[in-house]
Amino acid sequence: MKASVIYEIILSAVLILLQVLLLNQISIFGIGTPILYIYFLVKLPMGSNRFYVITLSFIVGFVIDIFLNTPGMNATATTIVAAFRKPLMNLFFSKDDEFENFVPGIYRSSGAFVRFAVTMVLLHQSLLFFIGSFTFFNLTNTLTRIGASALITLVLIFAIDSLMYKKAASES
Amino acid sequence: MRNLLNFIIRSSSWLYAIVLVAFGFYLVFSHNSYQRSVYLTSANTITGWLYNTSSSVRTYFYLSKNNKELLERNAKLESELYALKALLHREDSLGTTAFALDSVKPAQFRFIPAEVSNMSFSAMNNYMTLNKGLADGVKPDMGVISQRGVVGVVFKASEHFSVVIPIINAKFRLSAKLKNSENYGSLSWDGSDMYKAQLQELPKHEVYQEGDTVLTSFSRIFPKGLVIGVVSGQAKSQNDSFNSFDVKLATNFYTIQDVLVIDDSYYSEQNQLEQSTRQ
Repeated sequence: MKASVIYEIILSAVLILLQVLLLNQISIFGIGTPILYIYFLVKLPMGSNRFYVITLSFIVGFVIDIFLNTPGMNATATTIVAAFRKPLMNLFFSKDDEFENFVPGIYRSSGAFVRFAVTMVLLHQSLLFFIGSFTFFNLTNTLTRIGASALITLVLIFAIDSLMYKKAASES
Repeated sequence: MRNLLNFIIRSSSWLYAIVLVAFGFYLVFSHNSYQRSVYLTSANTITGWLYNTSSSVRTYFYLSKNNKELLERNAKLESELYALKALLHREDSLGTTAFALDSVKPAQFRFIPAEVSNMSFSAMNNYMTLNKGLADGVKPDMGVISQRGVVGVVFKASEHFSVVIPIINAKFRLSAKLKNSENYGSLSWDGSDMYKAQLQELPKHEVYQEGDTVLTSFSRIFPKGLVIGVVSGQAKSQNDSFNSFDVKLATNFYTIQDVLVIDDSYYSEQNQLEQSTRQ
């Protein structure tokens, strides 16, 4: 249990660094920016303490906010996603998967994982955009941006998840 | 009472999340108040240092391009220098003392060179971090320009870093005008394109041609007549009685590396005077 917590915190820290130093410099066609740090929330074990999940999410979002000068924006969006994580997991993963240390992964339960990740990322992106601008003024523009950013983020998440699985498989 | 307690215990994690979300929204909405601590921005020591380190690696990729730009700039300045020298020489031969050096007033504007240590793109709220701060004379509300044109305005400054609101931030406003006209409008960014801003609230009769230069107008932050960009077409106007143009920005925010911060020595004086009349 202790080791997994340390692993999760390190994963979050690495994702934060990746996000602020690399991914936020990217703006594909000026419409989409990959928001990859949400990946840590996708990868937490199913049985994790909900207080721990919510606290970690808030802290990660808060640190991202400090780097991007967007106080509260990422923290709020990530905390809301963290709160809805458990109900979403119950919705997508079958009861057979449900044991303490079940970590969602692309090879374990591909279909469910993809649906789960897509929902989490879309929810997070939409929250980020609407908290960031508080306006539906330019709806098509906003939806394009949400779609584009979510798409890039998901491609990255699936790519990284496949790679991490292969590494884990070859080590064992 | 018992039911209430049970409810609170059962849904405690939801309540916890709601408290954190409320705190998050508090941070979002209190962002604009000026008293906010500089520690919560990328101008704080740790984030500034981190951004600076990563930018010192990234700069190498742009060396040849920057070098070329500097050479071009140098050539331009040199030709201006010769023109001025020639002028000075001519006046000298007339025997006037009007150009005696020590009678020249100290310049109103001083330029502080700085490097962009980070540029973050996150939809509407783009910010830029510079590697110069209070210790180098950079203060909030100073204008920032690049070799090509206007970049933005310093928002906050710590000892060694500062955060800039660039043109491509939804909060940015600047009064601007076309080069060949005296009517001025308001420049802002609608969030759709990193290369284009919108010049709004121009009179309906204002005519333009694609490629007309857009310059800064009355502004306490920028000197008059700095290049912002060129007109690239008609924009959708939010109000029928005004005209709006798309402006292709002179500054490319994807590749920006070196900027100059404008230190206006009369800024505080003008500011005080204007404040005192308002009361």
